[in-house]
Amino acid sequence: MKASFSNPIQFIQQHQISRRNMLSSIPALVGLFSSGCSRDTFIPPTIRTGLIGVADVLTMSANRFLLSDQPLAREYELSDIAPEFPTWGQTDPQDEEYQQLRSRGFRGWSLPVKGLVRRPTDFTLEQLKQMPARTQITAHVCEQGWSAIGQWTGVPLVQVLNAAGGIKPTARYVMLDTVDGWYEGIDLFEVMHPQTILAYNLNGQALPIGNGAPLRLRVERQCGYKNLKFLKSIQVVDSMASFGRGTGGINSDWGFHWFGGV
Amino acid sequence: MTLKSSFGRRQWRTSHPLNVRISHWVNVIAGTYLLVSGLHIFLDFPELYWGHTGYRGYPAIFKLEDWGLSWDEAGSLGNRMWGRNYHFTFAWVFLINGLIYVGWNLRTGHLQQQLWLNRDELRLDNLHRDLRQQVRWTLPRQTTTTEYGTLQKISYLMLIFVFVPLMVLTGLAQSPGFTAAWPWLLDIFGGRQSARTLHSVGTVLFIVFVILHILEVIRAGATNRIRSMFTGHLLISSSTSDIRRDGEMSSADT
Repeated sequence: MKASFSNPIQFIQQHQISRRNMLSSIPALVGLFSSGCSRDTFIPPTIRTGLIGVADVLTMSANRFLLSDQPLAREYELSDIAPEFPTWGQTDPQDEEYQQLRSRGFRGWSLPVKGLVRRPTDFTLEQLKQMPARTQITAHVCEQGWSAIGQWTGVPLVQVLNAAGGIKPTARYVMLDTVDGWYEGIDLFEVMHPQTILAYNLNGQALPIGNGAPLRLRVERQCGYKNLKFLKSIQVVDSMASFGRGTGGINSDWGFHWFGGV
Repeated sequence: MTLKSSFGRRQWRTSHPLNVRISHWVNVIAGTYLLVSGLHIFLDFPELYWGHTGYRGYPAIFKLEDWGLSWDEAGSLGNRMWGRNYHFTFAWVFLINGLIYVGWNLRTGHLQQQLWLNRDELRLDNLHRDLRQQVRWTLPRQTTTTEYGTLQKISYLMLIFVFVPLMVLTGLAQSPGFTAAWPWLLDIFGGRQSARTLHSVGTVLFIVFVILHILEVIRAGATNRIRSMFTGHLLISSSTSDIRRDGEMSSADT
């Protein structure tokens, strides 16, 4: 298991990350390796009681063991893109500030990146769009059972964290929250993955309102409910106990699995 | 131990080893949870599609709506959070239980002895006769033997080595995490939605299997058969030929 992580150079070569990106990724990588890809990679932040908790650990551990060399989720062809990407759940948050920003085409919108980063920063949409981008045609897999293929363009989360000076060694999770009060945490294993992006485009167009404008998370190896829409802020933390009921996300607070890989 | 009755000479025979009895009842519990929780998940999104893509509004190959249950009615019956929690929990119970059962009984030889088909059984006329008796419901009450019938062996082998692995794989093929690790899961079933559809077809087949299995148990003598799945002893009425055959069975089993 650990062998594949103890060799970051090989990982970087496999994923064809450029030298410049590689150098700029070092602060984030240092954080990752010092946090040690250990318990957090295999075990959810809180373990539920009883047989369900045992199964949660088995599911996450088994999946992460199979993903230990960080493969990409399947990327599809342009011709596979769904005729119309569905909108589901929250499609237009009735938040006053959000509606004002929306009417201005999100001018003045910014994303605070705070917590355990060296230089907490508010990034405007323009600044995020100027960072190295990634475009991926992937399947959005809803835990309800539906799935649709779309082309997402956005900035890798690692790039954003690096732009905020990189994460501190005590960092363990990234907690994201939304204008409609949702919050979900993802662990560093998912944060550092090349396909984990903050998307501002869908199918070559600005992200539609129904799909989470102006910015949403894509974690391609987890179900839809981890792929938060309408992002409001990002916080790097060492514990998620202070958010909601402390399970590490609104969905797990309600009683879903925290790990959204199945 | 033998006992006399008006039905003739009846004897207790060793039927199922302890590990088989335990794994059977674990399967009953896990299978029930898997079925009920799976229905909950399905009812929350009661449409099926083929290929990689499928969502409400996309051409479906099955809609529960067409069968008289509207989307909202189905949704009010299904609790997918409960369903997902218990489906994945008992999937692990079922999988681990099954692996122990197969591993253990391959090692002791019990599985080969009870389920492997011999040359005579595989002869076409034998298969034909067995099938005819099954369909016409004229199979003799199997109170004379602890051995399985040919079609019974075939269905158990198919269940263990074809059906269950396919259900596990079509289940995993719906998971974004497992398909990232094993993208071939998407290819062998022709897409995530195809896998979901096949998983649902499998559910129907599982229900059919359970119904047939219960009917066969009733036909073979429900009290005696169900008791034997708890105690490991089957009460059989013996004839000379059966004593010889069962004698071999018993000595091999114990």
